[in-house]
Parts: sequence; C-alpha cells; structure tokens
Amino acid sequence: MPIYEQTYRRYGGLRLPPCRGWWVIARTGLASALLDRRFVGLLLLAWAPFLVRAVQIYASANFQQVGFLAPTVETFRTFIAQQSTFMFFVTVYAGAGLIADDRHANALQLYLSKPVTRSEYVVGKSVILVVLLLAVTWLPAMALLLWQVTLTGDAFLLTNSHLGPAIMVFSVIEALVAALPMLALSSLSSSRRFVSVLYAGVVLFSGGLATALGAETGRGWWSWLSPEHALAAVGDAIFRIQTPSSAPIALAAVALAAIVLVSLVVLRRTVCAVDVVSS
Amino acid sequence: MIRRSRGLGFAESTLRVFGFSVGSLLWSKRMLFLALLSAVPVVIALVARVAEARGTPLHLAGSETLVGTGLFGTMVWAAYVRFIVPVFGVFLGTGLIADEVEDRTIVYLFTRPIPRGSVLIGKYLAYLVCTTSVVLPSLMLTYFAIVPVSAVAASFPQLMLDFGIVVIGLATYGALFGLVGVVVRRSIVAGLVFVFGWEPIVLLLPGYLKRASVAFYVQSLVPHAVPRSDATFLPQLVVREIMAPASAVLWLCVVLAVCLALAVRTVGRRDYVLDQ
Amino acid sequence: MCCRCGVVVSDATPVISADHVSKWYGQVSALNDVSARVPPGITGLLGPSGAGKSTFMKLMTGQLRPSTGAVRVLGEPANDNPGIYNRIGFCPEQDAFYETMTGFEWVSTLVGLHGLTPTAAREATERAIEAVGLTDVAGRKIGAYSRGMRQRVKLAQAIAHNPELLILDEPLAGMDPIGRRTTMEMVREWARAGHSVVLSSHMLHEVEAMTGNILLMNQGRILADGDVRQIRSLIDTHPHRVFIKARDPGALARRLLLDRDVISLRFDGDAVTIETARPDELYDWVTERAAEGDCGEIEELSSPDDNLQAVFNYLVKA
Repeated sequence: MPIYEQTYRRYGGLRLPPCRGWWVIARTGLASALLDRRFVGLLLLAWAPFLVRAVQIYASANFQQVGFLAPTVETFRTFIAQQSTFMFFVTVYAGAGLIADDRHANALQLYLSKPVTRSEYVVGKSVILVVLLLAVTWLPAMALLLWQVTLTGDAFLLTNSHLGPAIMVFSVIEALVAALPMLALSSLSSSRRFVSVLYAGVVLFSGGLATALGAETGRGWWSWLSPEHALAAVGDAIFRIQTPSSAPIALAAVALAAIVLVSLVVLRRTVCAVDVVSS
Repeated sequence: MIRRSRGLGFAESTLRVFGFSVGSLLWSKRMLFLALLSAVPVVIALVARVAEARGTPLHLAGSETLVGTGLFGTMVWAAYVRFIVPVFGVFLGTGLIADEVEDRTIVYLFTRPIPRGSVLIGKYLAYLVCTTSVVLPSLMLTYFAIVPVSAVAASFPQLMLDFGIVVIGLATYGALFGLVGVVVRRSIVAGLVFVFGWEPIVLLLPGYLKRASVAFYVQSLVPHAVPRSDATFLPQLVVREIMAPASAVLWLCVVLAVCLALAVRTVGRRDYVLDQ
Repeated sequence: MCCRCGVVVSDATPVISADHVSKWYGQVSALNDVSARVPPGITGLLGPSGAGKSTFMKLMTGQLRPSTGAVRVLGEPANDNPGIYNRIGFCPEQDAFYETMTGFEWVSTLVGLHGLTPTAAREATERAIEAVGLTDVAGRKIGAYSRGMRQRVKLAQAIAHNPELLILDEPLAGMDPIGRRTTMEMVREWARAGHSVVLSSHMLHEVEAMTGNILLMNQGRILADGDVRQIRSLIDTHPHRVFIKARDPGALARRLLLDRDVISLRFDGDAVTIETARPDELYDWVTERAAEGDCGEIEELSSPDDNLQAVFNYLVKA
C-alpha cells in the first residue's frame, strides 16, 4: 500500500529463549567497567607481575647462568598468590557498586519488572566480577604456562600435567570466593563506599586475626577465620604443594563452602524489587 | 562596597555541624561495624592470655617470649598503629564529604549560612570523637587482657601515652584521608593502596623516602613497643631509623594542619554536581 | 524595604540578577550567556529537560560558580557568601535525605545551622511542619515517608528560617492533587506576605495558576522573560487561534470573512476556529456582534493560544 502506518508496531523479530537475561546484564556490566580508564589502568598494572615472571622464564630458558630461575609448580602457585593483592583491589573497585549502585538508583525494580529472574540478575552480576577476576589470575597464569611451554617445549607440561587444570580450578574458586561475598555485601547497602569499607574490613581484619591467632597458638586451625588463609590452604592442596604451616584442607574447604553458601543465602534474601522500611 | 549578610562564624558553624554529625555517626551501622573490627585485637589478646595460661606463650623468631607488657607493646604497634588506626582513617576519613556527596545530601549543608570548610572540619571532629570512642576502649580492654594485674601500676602511664599516640595517629590519618576523599574519586581504593602499598614499601627503603609516610612519624612515637632481642625481626628492621618523639609529633601536627587546610580550600572552591 | 540583615533593597530591585552568565562542564555548555532580572514576586522558571533550569538554580544558590559572568541574589553575590543563605531557602529537586532521621529532627537540625537556639529551632520547625501539613507524621522516619511527604518535608526545610526568597526546583513533583493545591496556595500566600519565589516546573498550567511572570529557557539560553500575556502579544508572527461557539456558525463565518482579517477558518461542529494576527480587535468585534445579535447567538469565546503552554510550545519549537 502506498501510505505506511506510523503507529506502534509490535516487535516481530527474533526473540532469544528465556533465561538469557544474565548475559545481557553481564555484557553490559563488563562493557561499562572497561570504559573506566582508571580501572583499565588497574587491570594493566595487575599484569605487571606477569611481565616480571615472563622475563624470568625467558632468562632461565635461554641463559644457563640463571638456570636456577627456572619455574616450578611453586612458581605458578606463588604467582597466583601474589595476584591476590590485585584481586582485592579489582574486587573493591569493580564489585562494590554492582548491586549497591542499582539499589541507590532504585534500578532493581526496573530489572525485576522485566522477564529477568532474581537468579539471572545475581548470575549476571557475578559473571561480571568473576570474569574481571579471572582476567588478573587465570589469564596471566595460563599465559605464563603457555610462554613456558613455548620456550622449553612440552616436557614441563608433561611432568606437571596437573598444573593447567590446577590453575583453572583454583582461579575459579578464588574468583567465586572473592566475588560472591562482595556481591552479598553490595546487596546489603545502597552506598558503594560503605560496601567497600565492609569488604575491606572483613578481608583485612579476618586475615589479621587468623595470622595473629595462628602465630599465638602455632596451629593452622585458625585459617577458617580468614578467606585468604583458607584459600591458601586449598590452593596448596590443588597444586599438590606441601606447606608446613598449611591449615587442614578439610577445614579450609568447609570454610570456603560456608562463605559461598552464606553469600548465596544473603543474595537470595536481599535482592528484591522493594525494601520495606520500618517507621 | 558590596554589602553581605552575615552567616555564622567558622567556629560556631563547626560546632553545630559537629553536634549533629557525631550523633548520626556514632550510632550508625558504620560505627557498629568498626566497633566489631576493634574487638579483633581484644580477641587476639584473650587467646594470647589463654595460651600463656596453658603454658604455650607466643614466641618470636628467636628466643624472646612475648607476654605481658612486651606483647601489649607489640600489639599497640602491629594491631593499632600499623593497622587499625590507618584503616579507620581510610574508612571514615575519606567519607567526610564524599558520603554526603554520594547520598546527595551535601546540598542541604552547602545552602546553609555556614562556611563550607566548617562542614568538613565539623565532620572531621565528629570522626575523631567517634573513632577514639571505639578504638581507645578496645586498646584498654586489650591492655587488661594481656598485662597481668601486678604490672598494671607500673605500665599504666605508658598506656596513657599509647592512648595519646593512637589519638594522634587517628587525627593525622583522618586529616590525610579527608584530603584524599575530597580530591580523589575512588578514595577508599587510593587510601588502601597508600596504607598497604606505599607505606610498607617506603618504610623498608633506606633514606628519606620513608618521611613521605605518616607511619614513619607515628612509629617514632612507639619505640618501646618493638622487641629488641633479635635484629632479624622485621619490626626491628622497619623501625631502625626513627625520629625523636618531639619532632615526630611536630611533623604529625604539620601534616594534619596542611591536609586539613588543603581540604578546606578544595571544598570551598569545588563545584559539586550531583546525580539527579 | 529593609531586610532583617541590614541590607537595604528597593522594591524595584530584582531579587536575582544574572549578567552574561555562562556555565560549562568540560565541552558541554549548560548555560550560554544568560542575562536576566528576576523581579520580586513569583517567577516561574520554565523549559524542557536539559534547558539549564537546574544549573541556573544552582548558580542562583551559589552551589556552582559561573564559568563567566556573575549572579547576584537580593543584591549580594551568590558565591562565597554563606550569609546569603539566611535570606534564601532552597528546595532541591533530588530525593535525598538523612533517611534514619524523623522529619522533625531533620528540619530542626538544618534550621539549627542558621544559628537559631534549640528552642527557636524547635518552634520554627513546628511552624514549617504545620505549614506543609506534615504534623501527623513529623515523628516518623523519613525513610518511611511517601513521595509526596518527602517533597513536603523538603519544602519545610526551605521555609523554616523564614527566608525572603524561596528557590524551589520542581516543588510539585510527586505530589498528589491535594498536596499540589496546598503547595500552590502556600506559594501564593508566601508571595502575598512580601516574599519572593522562583520555582521551576514542568506543570505549566499549575505555574500559570500561580503566576503570570515567567523565565523561559531552552538549550542554555533565555527564550523569553516577563508576563505571559505580554510575551504572547509580542509573538505577532504567530497567529492566534480563537474558538467561537455560536447558534448559527455559518452566518458568523460569512461575516468574519467579510469584515475581519482572518488567516484561516475551520468549522468544528457548532463552532468556528479562526486564526488571526489581531486577536484583540477580533474580541472587540465579537463583543459588538453579540450585543447587536446580527450573527445569531454567540455562546462561547475562548483562545487556546492565550496560555503558557502555547507560548512554551511556540518558543521552544521555534
């Protein structure tokens, strides 16, 4: 017909199946995080230890005089442990406002009035932080492993065949143990500053408490008080490294599982469209 | 000549802002959380006391046993001066104005007949009162948990000095991070980088670089806390170069005054554009 | 007229004067060479979203410094002059409070910053709370208030110290019809008592019910400033529409086309809508015809263009 209707027309194009909302949330969150130049600078700074280690591996592979610098499983384990500092700052920088900013802007009502479930919302937000954390742990560690293999052949890999999976598994556990509690705390407040304070306080003080009590009693039993210590014990076990001061692995694993579980429970209770305020 | 209406004086404005800020801060969830954190050294102290009672006191690398006033001194240094004081400074100092800006309530304060700087100073004083009201009781409880009754009389004056050191530390870190909070956007991250990145590194380096930290001056006030038996013990290394206490107090006062002055100036001149 | 703080102000002195004021944020210009004189009384600050109204209000209240130019309020500089806040009350647009405080506590805390003693602050708060109709809920936490209550408690903190000039950014937003009517009446009452009010709003018909004096902005510039009708009459390139309902619209139309300068004419059932560049002459002519009865009975005469909405639409779109 010659004259076209200009009125509202229903969308007739492709609709993705349900339960894809989490990906939209994750993709948008990652894109906006990467638009922040300061944050990108922090991510790049987190790769500085990779450069140092890469030089170490290159030197050990090419110069016999510094052959003692050749990497071992402990090298990769230590590398990931050192990256935990950057993980902390990335978590605080990128994670504090993930849900808090939505609460501040009353955006939860908007999200949850779309065909997006609370679970999808939480999954989407978790994916943002987990991906960013893996970018500073798993990615550089695997890049180092690839670099080692490239320079020295697959002998190292065949000798330490568990290293690749260990890096993967431990990085994911680390990322989840960092991300979920941060999301849970973020869901408790509408102030990203307060969430930063809460998270930093819990991490720093629990670590200090576990260290001090461990030093006082000479026992690693206190690791359950600190996610950092529990992760260290679990990491040693995954990498098959025996450390004399390591805490009992079962206790550490239970502690980490409890942290994840409590975080999920908190998220389930607090992520909702409206807050009821007592008068 | 331009005629101007009279607002409140700086001192009176500061007192009024302090009055309502201290009430709202002291009973806030924030302070409750920080009070819980302040209980951590008390828990450590109680466990140490139990360990000592069971015949397994803490040993440093070397032979010295840490009990009583020696342990308390180490805790003042390690738990309070190097940890709680700067961390509380970061947590609350950076939020003096930033919290009001984030909550978008700053407009109500900046459209009152009071100088903008008085808002900052009033909130700073409230921060100081609230943090000391939480940290000093914690310090006292730690003291009584660790120090045996027989040693209390002799060591109590030192406890009073330690109170003063903690207050000076809180005041200086609060002023410093008050300035950081006004100038820098993600001030908590910047503060944590300063406390756990910059200060530990510069304190280990020889030369004058360590003077670009607050910890150097505060540590100079607590040499009694450092065990002297083993030269390889890290705290000994760290505080090998210290300043005379009087000079350290003077420099801390200078840092405090300069940071507050700069913060007041920045707040007075800055345009705060709030999210709608 | 002498104000409380000793500054002598004449009745003709504008309450707000802006001289070549510009404000930009980086590359974005929020206000562009704005010069305006806001007279005493009620002035409506109007414009579409992004016009620069809130920026202008923040400049008036000294929250922002102009990039160029100067703003004076009640004869005093708006910036670096905390004392001016004794004479002005500001009600911001944003919905932000100390949520854990009760309405009463919040208003009395803020009015206490004006130097009032605790007793005086309490009394001022009680008056302000009563004026905005929140006496029953003053003891409740603000976090539990409805949107309308939050708007009213914001108004209370702006009026509690009895300022000479009220600057209200979207004061009617979120209020129910009764709340809006009460607020509008309060604003009128305030003006009758000799205070001045500058308010911004998107609700043009409500602004029109409070005042005929407007400052119309768009894209960071002033489009028009003054009385609505004067502005309308000056827009002589834009014809007025006049609606006339008559018993015999055909006869009326014939006479109109013969006697008057009519740009266009349209029949709407038993009425005619005419466009003319000379509305005042048309009104006189219709009055004569109605008196003589030679066009039949004339039942209604009105102009859809003789209002703020029409002025707004024309100037903004132009």
